[in-house]
Amino acid sequence: MLFRVDPSSSVPLGDQIAACVRRAVSDGSVAPGERLPAARALADSLGVNVHTALRGYQRLREEGLIELRRGRGAVVTAGASPHRARLLEGVRAVVAEARELGLAEGDLLDLVRAELNA
Amino acid sequence: MNPKKLGRAVLVALPFLVVLILALVLAGTLSDRLPGRLATHFSATGEANGYTGRTTFLVLTALVPALLGACWTYMAVRGRFHGRAYDGFTAAGYATAAFFGYLTTVTLFANVDTADGAPGATFTMWHLVGAFGSAAVAAALGYFLARLLPALPDDPEAAAAREGARIPLADGEVAGWVRSMASWWLPGTALAMVLAGVVLTFALRPVTGLPLMVIGLVLLPYSRPNVTVDRRGLIVSGLLPWPRVHVPLERIDTATSRNVKAVAEYGGWGYRVRATRSGVITRSGEAIVARLENGRDFAVTVDDSATGAALLNTLVDRRRGRS
Repeated sequence: MLFRVDPSSSVPLGDQIAACVRRAVSDGSVAPGERLPAARALADSLGVNVHTALRGYQRLREEGLIELRRGRGAVVTAGASPHRARLLEGVRAVVAEARELGLAEGDLLDLVRAELNA
Repeated sequence: MNPKKLGRAVLVALPFLVVLILALVLAGTLSDRLPGRLATHFSATGEANGYTGRTTFLVLTALVPALLGACWTYMAVRGRFHGRAYDGFTAAGYATAAFFGYLTTVTLFANVDTADGAPGATFTMWHLVGAFGSAAVAAALGYFLARLLPALPDDPEAAAAREGARIPLADGEVAGWVRSMASWWLPGTALAMVLAGVVLTFALRPVTGLPLMVIGLVLLPYSRPNVTVDRRGLIVSGLLPWPRVHVPLERIDTATSRNVKAVAEYGGWGYRVRATRSGVITRSGEAIVARLENGRDFAVTVDDSATGAALLNTLVDRRRGRS
C-alpha cells in the first residue's frame, strides 16, 4: 500500500499515516487480513520517528481498522470493510466541521443521538 | 545482422580466436618435442600427479576456446543487452580466454623435452598467480575496447517507462510503498528443509541433517518478503531488516510493471542472477522491473506492481530534478 505524508502540512504526521491506511481500506487496495509494515519499518521508509508511526497505528486500532500484535506487526481486521473506513472518514469530517463551528462536545453528541433516534 | 552487432560479435570472439590460434601454432611447433603422455595435474609442491594423452590434450586446447568463443559470440548476438551491460560481458570473455590460454600454454611448455612418463615436468604455483593476473589484464583490455563502441540503443520498453505513469507528489511530500510478496512455497520450502534436517539428524547422523536445518532456519525469515519503494530506492527484505536486497534510487534509470516468466527469463525461482538481469522471483506474473544505470534489469515479482513502478519513476524523476 502507498503511504504519503507531507511534513509541511499542519496535520500531525501520525494522523496523515492513519489517513493513508483509511483511504487504502476504503478504496479496497488493502484487504482485511493484510499485514501492514511494522511501525519501525514504516518510520524508516518515510523518515519519521517510530513513535509518530506508532501513534498513527494506535489511532487506527482505536477505530477498529487494524489489530496490533507484538512481534507480528499490524494486521487489517476482518471487520475493516471499505464501508466502515468510509464511515470513519465521514465521522472525522463531521467532527472537524463541528469544531469549526465551535460546537461543544455535548452538543454534537446530542445532535448525533437525535439523528439516531429519529 | 547489422554492422554494429557484427562489430560487437567480432570484439567478443577476438580473445578466443587469439587463444585458439596460439594453441594451433604451439601444437604445430612443439608436438615433436612433447612426450606421449603430458603431465597435466600438479600437486601443491609442483610435482606432476596426473597425466593426459598428448593428442587428447592438444585437441582440447583448441576445442575448448573454440566452444567457449562460440558460446560467448552467440550470446553477444542473441542476448538482450542494453546500455553498458555488454561491456562487463565482454570483459568476462576476455578474462576467461586469457586464464585458459595462459594455463594451457605454461602446461605445454612445462612438458617440452621431458621423457615419456618421467617425473620431469614441474609447475610452480606462481603460474596460478600469473593466470589470474593475465585474466585481470585481459578483462581490463576487453572492458576498455567495449567502452570504445557506442552504448547500445535503449529499448522501446525503457523509453515507454520514461513516459509512463507517475504519482503526483507535492513539494516536500514523502511517499513510500510497501507490499508483501505472498507465496505459499517460500514458507513451505523453509519448513520442509528444517523438518527434513531434524529427521535426518536423528535418523542418520547430524552431519547430514544439520546443514539442511541451518539453511531452512536461515530461509524462514524470508517466508514473506516485503517489497519497499521509497526515498531510499527499491528494497526487498525479510522479517528481519538484514540481510536484504537494496537497489538505491541513484542506480535506477526507469521502472516498469510487466509480466515476467520465472523459468524462461530468470531460470527459476528465488534470488536470481543472470547475465543481463537479476531479481527476486517468487512466481511468474506481474513484477516491478527496474532498468539500472549500468544497463542491467532488476525485477521483483509483487502484486500491484504498477503502483510501485509509478512511485519508483516519480522518485527517480524527483532525484534527477534536484541533482
